[in-house]
Amino acid sequence: MASARPWLLLAPALAVLAVLLLWPLARVVLISFQDYGLREIVSGRSNYIGLANYAEVFADPALWTVVLPNTVGFAVAAVGGTVILGTLVALLLASLNRLWRTIVSSAVMVAWAMPAVTGTYVWIWIFDADRGIVSQFLQGVGLLDEPHNWFTDRWSFYAVVLVNIVHHGFPFVAITVLAGLLGVSKEMLEAATVDGAGAVRRFFSITFPTLRPVFAVVVILSTIWDFKVFAQIYLQPGGSGSNRSVFNLGVWSYVESFAQNRYGFGSAIAVLLTVLLLAISVVYVRTLFKEEK
Amino acid sequence: MKAPSAPSAPDAVRIPARRPRSRRARVALAWKAAAVAALLLFTLFPTYWMISSAFDGRASGGAQSLFPAEPTLENFSYVLSEAGFGTFLRNSAIVAVSTVVLSGILALFAAVAVARFRFRFRTGILMLILIIQMVPLEALVIPLFIQVRDLQLLNSFLGLIIVYVAFSLPFAIWMLRGFVAAVPVELEEAAYIDGASWGRMFWSVLLPLVAPGLVATSVFAFIIAWNEFIFALTFMDSPATYTVAVGLQQFFGENSNEWGYVMAGSTLITLPVMIFFILVQRRLSGGLVSGAVKG
Repeated sequence: MASARPWLLLAPALAVLAVLLLWPLARVVLISFQDYGLREIVSGRSNYIGLANYAEVFADPALWTVVLPNTVGFAVAAVGGTVILGTLVALLLASLNRLWRTIVSSAVMVAWAMPAVTGTYVWIWIFDADRGIVSQFLQGVGLLDEPHNWFTDRWSFYAVVLVNIVHHGFPFVAITVLAGLLGVSKEMLEAATVDGAGAVRRFFSITFPTLRPVFAVVVILSTIWDFKVFAQIYLQPGGSGSNRSVFNLGVWSYVESFAQNRYGFGSAIAVLLTVLLLAISVVYVRTLFKEEK
Repeated sequence: MKAPSAPSAPDAVRIPARRPRSRRARVALAWKAAAVAALLLFTLFPTYWMISSAFDGRASGGAQSLFPAEPTLENFSYVLSEAGFGTFLRNSAIVAVSTVVLSGILALFAAVAVARFRFRFRTGILMLILIIQMVPLEALVIPLFIQVRDLQLLNSFLGLIIVYVAFSLPFAIWMLRGFVAAVPVELEEAAYIDGASWGRMFWSVLLPLVAPGLVATSVFAFIIAWNEFIFALTFMDSPATYTVAVGLQQFFGENSNEWGYVMAGSTLITLPVMIFFILVQRRLSGGLVSGAVKG
C-alpha cells in the first residue's frame, strides 16, 4: 500500500501530461508524414505520404530566404537584447539604495506583468501609421514628411517586435540576475577593487563566473521563448498571413495549417521548430556544463 | 572610482549622503540618474499610454496628446456593454479559475509524491517534467486541435481548460516540489505519532504549510490561462465563447482601428494580471532561481 501511494498521487498528473502533451507530441510527428487536410480531419483516416512534406519544406526557397533568417536572426537579436539589458538593469538595481531599488523594480514588474497580447496591441498603437505617437512625433520634429507604415517592411516590422519582446522579456532576466548578484561574494569584489580592478573587469572576472548557472538558465529560456514567438508577430498588421515576408517558423506552420488546411505540411514545420529548439537546448546545456568542469 | 558608482555593492550607496563629492562621483551619479529615468520611461510608458488612451475620448477619433484631452469613461462603457467585453471577461474568468483549481490539485499531489517518497523511476519522472517544459506548446496546436475536435470540445470551455491545465502542470509541480520539500519531515512524523492517518496528516499538517506555495503556483496558472492566445484563437470561433485575448481582435475593423476601445479592453485585461503579479512576484522569481541553482 505504502509503495503504491506515490504512484496514486502521481497518476492524475501523469495521465494529463501523457494525453495532452506526450501523445500530441508523437501525433504531430505522425501527421507530418501525411497529406492531412480537411478530408482527413473529418474522416479521421490516415494518409501517409512518407517524407514528401519535409521535402517540400526544405525545397521551399521561402524557408531559406525568409522564414529561417526571420526566426534565427530575430532570436539572436532578441536574446542578446533581453540578456544584455536585463543584466545592466540588474547591476543598476544592485547599486541603488533601498527606496530607489523598490521604485525601479516595481516599474520593471509592471513591464513584466503586461500580457503579451495587450502589450502587442499597445506597441502597434504606439507605432500606428496614421495616428501613432511615434509617427506624429517624427512628423512634428520634421524627420518624417508623411505617415509611415512601420509594418509593411520586414526590417521595421521586426524592429517593433524586438522592442516588444525586449520590453516584455528583460524583467525576468533582471530579477533573476539580481537575485544571483546578491549571492556574489562581497569580499572578493572588495579585494579586486583594492587590487585596482575596474567595474568592467570585476564584472567579467568575478560576477559573471559566479553567476554562470544563472546566466545559463536565463539564456536558454530566453532562446526558447524568442524562437517560438507567435502572438507578437501574428497580431501585428500583416502578421497573420497577408505579408509572407514576416513569417517565422511558428507563424508559417500556423497559417499553412489553419488558413490553408494543410495540417500535414504545417506539422512538418512544427516538428522542424521543435527539433531546432531541443537541439539548441542540448548544445547550450552541454557547452555550459563542459566549461564548468 | 569610489563606492558610489560601484555597480555590485548593494546598499553601499546613499544618494543624499556625503555632501562634498568629487567631480567624478557627481558625473557617475548623473549617469545613474539618467539611466534610472530612461528605464522608468521605457518600462512604464506602454502601460501609461494604454491607460491614458483608454480614458481619452479622442483616441478613437483623431489625434491624441500625451495626456487625455477629453477624459471620459465612454470607451469603457462601450466596450463593456455594446461590444460584449463583459462576456469575454466572464469566459476568461471561468476558464482561468477552473484551470487554477484543477492544476493546483493535480500539481500538489504530484509534488508530494516526488518530494516525499523514494520510489523507482522517481528521477526519471523529474527529468520528464523538466524536459516537457522545453517542448514548444505552439508546435502542439495542430494535434491538440484535432484531438479536441474529435472529442467535440471545440467552442467549449472544457476543451480549453484541460489544455491549460496540462500547460501549467510541469512548472507547478516543479515549484511546489520545493515548497513541499521545505516542510520538515519531523512535523509529519509528529502527526503520525499522534495517531493521524496519512490523509489526516496531509490535510491538517502538510496542506496549511504548503499553502503559500499553492497561492504562488495558482497565480502562475491563472496568468497562463488568462493570457493564452494561440489555443483560444484556434479552439473558439464564436463570440459567445471568446476569451479576452481573442475578443480584443474584433475592434480591428476593416476601415479603421478603434484605438480607444482596444486600449480600454486592454486595460480591463491587464489590470487583474498586474495586481496578481505584483502580489506574488517575489515568490515566483524566488522559485525560478532556486530551481535554476539546484538544477
